[in-house]
Amino acid sequence: MKNKLLIICCAAVFLISGAVSIYMWNRPRGSTVEIISNGEVVCEIDLSREPDREITVEYEGRKNIIVIENGEIYVREAECPDHTCMKMGKLSDNGVPIVCMPNKLIIRYKGGGDIDAAA
Amino acid sequence: MTQPHSSRTRRLTLLALLTAVSLIMFVIELQIPSPVPIPGIKLGLANIVTVFAVYTCKAGEAASVFAARIILGAVFAGTPVTLLFSACGGLLCLIGMLLIRRFTDIGSIVLASIAGAVLHNLGQTAAAVFVMKTTAVLAYLPYLCFAGCIAGAFTGLCAYLVIRRLRRSGAERLMQETEQERKRRRDKNDF
Repeated sequence: MKNKLLIICCAAVFLISGAVSIYMWNRPRGSTVEIISNGEVVCEIDLSREPDREITVEYEGRKNIIVIENGEIYVREAECPDHTCMKMGKLSDNGVPIVCMPNKLIIRYKGGGDIDAAA
Repeated sequence: MTQPHSSRTRRLTLLALLTAVSLIMFVIELQIPSPVPIPGIKLGLANIVTVFAVYTCKAGEAASVFAARIILGAVFAGTPVTLLFSACGGLLCLIGMLLIRRFTDIGSIVLASIAGAVLHNLGQTAAAVFVMKTTAVLAYLPYLCFAGCIAGAFTGLCAYLVIRRLRRSGAERLMQETEQERKRRRDKNDF
């Protein structure tokens, strides 16, 4: 009985998270990107209109250099131990934001509000 | 004549061995590049030992192996942020698995491991929301849970195979105190 309950719970989590992942992966997005540092939106950028440039965001003296190039955005340099944000490459439109945990930086497509509601 | 504390010594040795094995697995996994560029997704090889300990040791023993691994792991892996994440995730995971262990038998070890992995992800995400001061990281949650189910099934299966092999070969008896030791302990009124 308890086993069955556990099986149902695991299967439900697996299926629901799979379905939500696929839905979020395929969802169409706008072209507005927001950069969040330490919980605050520092700037909003319309990638389709923005000229190529670099943005430096600082947190406790540690810098992240964000590059906008041909309508794409990525982190070129990060002063943090893991460099996960650099390895994540360009921000793709599949709903996975670029995150730098040590420097509390997030780059994501705007309209993440409804992601919060879905989660 | 055997030492009066031999069963406790044996216990201590076993737990130290488990801690060492899980730490080695943890460090090895750090060297393997992640197949998906999403922070937080990994196989969790070290959790094979956690699942194993939950199903073969007492609750307190499993918890101490786990705590030792988290703290020593942070020494190798580095940042206080990652320590906070793994501590939050791991605590939830451990509590969940111990509860499931209490109410079910070894047959549900894979399910317990899946539940543990998903709880680990929930704890991690909660810690991330707290640290980053934004709910934007919740966008990761479905991917993490999905990957957690697969990784949890894998680690659970590994732990199950190890336990089954130990039982078949009779080696599991070596991990527990023998009847003789138990009797002597009772006689001596030693805890």
